[in-house]
Amino acid sequence: MRYGHFLARDGAVIDEIMAVYMPEGRSYTGHDQVEIYCHGGRQVAKMIQDELVAAGARVAEPGEFTRLAFLAGRIDLTRAEAVAEVIESNTDTSFRAARDHLLGGYHNHISQLREALIDIIAEVEASVDYPEEDIDPENRFGLLAQLDVIIANVNELVDTYRGGRIINEGFRIVIGGRPNAGKSSLFNLLLRQERALVTPTPGTTRDYLSEWIELDGFKVNLIDTAGLRQTGGAVEKAGQKSARQILKGANLVIWMVDTTKKSWKRDLGYDLKSLGDTPTMLIGNKIDLLSGAGLKRVKASDAKLIPLSCLTGKGVADLKRAVGSRITDNMPDLTSGVVVTSARHQQKLSKALRSLKAARVKLKKDETPELTAFDLRQAVASIDEITGKIYTEEILGRIFSRFCIGK
Amino acid sequence: MMTYDYDVIVVGGGHAGVEAALAVARMGKTAAIVTMEASKLALMSCNPAIGGIGKSHLVKEIDALGGLMGEAIDATGIQFRRLNLSRGPAVWSTRVQADRIKYNEYVVRFVAAQKNVDVIEGLAGQILADNGRVCGMKTEAGRSVTSRAVIIASGTFLGGLIHIGDKKIRAGRMGEPAAYMLSESLAELGFEIGRLKTGTPPRLDGDTIDWSKCEVQPGEQPLPLFSHRSVREPFEQTPCHLTYTTEATRAIISANFKASPIFSGQIKSTGPRYCPSIEDKFFRFADKPRHQVFLEPEGNGTNEIYPNGFSTALPEKIQYQAVRTLTGLENVRPTRPGYAIEYDYCPAFQVMPSLETRRIKGLFFAGQINGTSGYEEAAGQGLMAGINAVLGIEGEPPFVLDRSEAYIGVMIDDLTTRSTTEPYRLFTSRAEYRLALREDNARDRLYGYAKEHKLIDDNDFVSFVSLQEKTLQEINLLRRKRVRVSEIGKLGDRFQKRESISLEDLLKQPGVTIGDALPILARFDGEFSVDREVLERAAIFIRYRGYVEKQQREIDKFKRMENEKIPEDFDFTAVKGLKQEAFDKFQCFRPVSLGQAGRIEGVTPGDIAVLSVYLKKHKG
Repeated sequence: MRYGHFLARDGAVIDEIMAVYMPEGRSYTGHDQVEIYCHGGRQVAKMIQDELVAAGARVAEPGEFTRLAFLAGRIDLTRAEAVAEVIESNTDTSFRAARDHLLGGYHNHISQLREALIDIIAEVEASVDYPEEDIDPENRFGLLAQLDVIIANVNELVDTYRGGRIINEGFRIVIGGRPNAGKSSLFNLLLRQERALVTPTPGTTRDYLSEWIELDGFKVNLIDTAGLRQTGGAVEKAGQKSARQILKGANLVIWMVDTTKKSWKRDLGYDLKSLGDTPTMLIGNKIDLLSGAGLKRVKASDAKLIPLSCLTGKGVADLKRAVGSRITDNMPDLTSGVVVTSARHQQKLSKALRSLKAARVKLKKDETPELTAFDLRQAVASIDEITGKIYTEEILGRIFSRFCIGK
Repeated sequence: MMTYDYDVIVVGGGHAGVEAALAVARMGKTAAIVTMEASKLALMSCNPAIGGIGKSHLVKEIDALGGLMGEAIDATGIQFRRLNLSRGPAVWSTRVQADRIKYNEYVVRFVAAQKNVDVIEGLAGQILADNGRVCGMKTEAGRSVTSRAVIIASGTFLGGLIHIGDKKIRAGRMGEPAAYMLSESLAELGFEIGRLKTGTPPRLDGDTIDWSKCEVQPGEQPLPLFSHRSVREPFEQTPCHLTYTTEATRAIISANFKASPIFSGQIKSTGPRYCPSIEDKFFRFADKPRHQVFLEPEGNGTNEIYPNGFSTALPEKIQYQAVRTLTGLENVRPTRPGYAIEYDYCPAFQVMPSLETRRIKGLFFAGQINGTSGYEEAAGQGLMAGINAVLGIEGEPPFVLDRSEAYIGVMIDDLTTRSTTEPYRLFTSRAEYRLALREDNARDRLYGYAKEHKLIDDNDFVSFVSLQEKTLQEINLLRRKRVRVSEIGKLGDRFQKRESISLEDLLKQPGVTIGDALPILARFDGEFSVDREVLERAAIFIRYRGYVEKQQREIDKFKRMENEKIPEDFDFTAVKGLKQEAFDKFQCFRPVSLGQAGRIEGVTPGDIAVLSVYLKKHKG
């Protein structure tokens, strides 16, 4: 670490700085690397960067350092992906999950699963390669029980993707309702009250409005379907179709009901049917316009509407609390640090799960062990595609350490 | 232009050396086997058997490539068995007990009758090389013989040192001198030399064994022969027996751990984990009450018995005390002691996948010198080295089998991508494409190559092609023909919900063999072939078709990586960004393809990505 001054081309001092040189093979990227520490503030950093570029440097592409680190073998695939997630994360929870990946909690968990799986493979392989040894054939049921534990674990891991995806892509809330129910009012109210997140995704489309906000520490994708007419003539048929699709893809639908309309109860019954099993939260809007008896009716309704007024803001706190707990219910336990947030991992793990289930069927039916081994090895291969490993020697090593083999 | 005495000299007349010389001769070149005693070709130094799990697959492959081992054991076997019959046919393994002397005599006669092969008696002492190119060999006695290629297949003779208790004897086999000068010559040429250990049990007089106390293991009929070229009438087979160690065995051996050179520090090299000495078994698995010992006859003309599982280096007296504690062996008379043997080998990163050394052109290594153990492993390498020696002379590219084609390919790839920590033995679990590498399809996999390299008769090839066609016909017929589930008894249990199934459906079920299906096939009025081999091949093909097809995509991916070649003289120092460990490994093993580079231990996908990017950038 050196101390000195950063000079511009014309010799003027830009800042007093510290700099550290990391030789090839000892830096994050594995390449020769210099880090410069300057005083805070964007302007100084920008001036230094400009000088460096003028001297022939190039600004790194997003993720380039991590790619170099991966190519140099400094980090494995899961960690490289985790770094990318940390960089992209823009809320508390996504940062936490990404950081845990980076620290390797996730990696360790997968390694443990893989280890347990190799134990089983060693048993199965031993019965193929050493038929003449009097190995106590670890009874099939013992192996089945071990395999069940692994399947349950992988299953759990695959399931965390539901939450992991929410962390990564955001919890998708679609605000729906009949015309004039107050959808846009609620949309704008929430946008005003909560921190808007800047995302690279374009926020507006022709058909609906989409924004990101942070709610209870979670990234939330809020969609206003106001632009979509829910009823109407043939011209809007296409629009109706996409409205249904948007509603279907929601993690939660906030359905707005205009409680000042006489027919709200009947309409709601009809609308709920068309919403099917999409998770839905019902809002009774415009309570500021209701009489005391009207409000009572809303509160007493079986539909359990949350009474709210976009105009006065009454009930918004209740709504946010309810939404927060819905999100939490959808989230995996983050304290373990083991959440699948990458679609690639989810895919590999699901593939592994299918192989494990196939192996289980074979083991249960007591089919020949080379076929069970086939499926188990496919499962390991899928897991290895997450981290990248080779394992034949490991299986043999396991066999020799567990059994007294050989004549 | 220099004239040579022979095209190829083979140093060593064991299982590797014999296959090497025969392959050379079959390909029309001349070969000389240099060995101490011409009468001892292909002697079984250790257990008197050929085959077993994984090894039998090798023998089938050697046979498919025109090698001798299968025929020799078929002709001289005294007990034939198939192991793993309760498992699937991919891992069925033939194992044949040999008449040790008859086997050796058979090979001696065969070699004598083979045109183009001479046997030179002598102890090889020096490899002659000129300008990085081999040109012959000189015996310890001083006789020089010149050749264009040399294959070293010296087995445990290379720097062999026998241990019995604290006694040390320089020998390659008990009573036979070891080759020490040869080892020095290799070191002088710059080869790195390591040391490995193996062992053998004492031999016993079968007349002094109480057989009634041992479990009998009979042979199998019809004879499961290795080679399709073999014909053998049924005969009365000689059984093996199984017995066990007792508490008394454990007591004697445990009390004498220190007397074994394995524990005293006298032996420093590593032995195979899969073939531990009896003292090692009691030491490492102290809570295992007993260990099994197979009593295997050494032949029909001898009473000598090989107690398989009782390898030991304990002092002679203790060996004999211990062996008499085995059930049924209370009064046994040992005929000779067991021993451990240390020998030199050249870690196999020094050879290319062709088995030619990187250092000296035209010099090949095969068998234990590459760190393997086992007759079959040796023979497979000998055969490949012989073929490649000839191809090298002819200026042709080498013949290399990959991991998806043969166990031979798996073995040589393992040897050339991993450092040796123990003598290498083949297991079926080493093959990632195991379901496709079977005994029954060895010829399907390799006959094309055998024909290409003129290792087999053209007629033989033509008749095999006709067998393949017949097999295909049966496969199609089995798919078309259906039976009612109600008419096939227990076999239909799995298909309760269906009225009828195809015979293919039936044979796909694990546990259903062609034997089970024969009575059903008989109902089709002669529509099916009567050739059992054809039907069996069809049934096994059907059993694994789904799996093999599923794996085909992986194999395609694997082949793509194998085809990303790394030039022989590639400069790894030019690749920036490799991890130090990967760089060191690449320098040592010098992988020939990206695929092989990826299999080297300690190399990460990141290293491969770096290497791949560099290769693509600098192509052409």
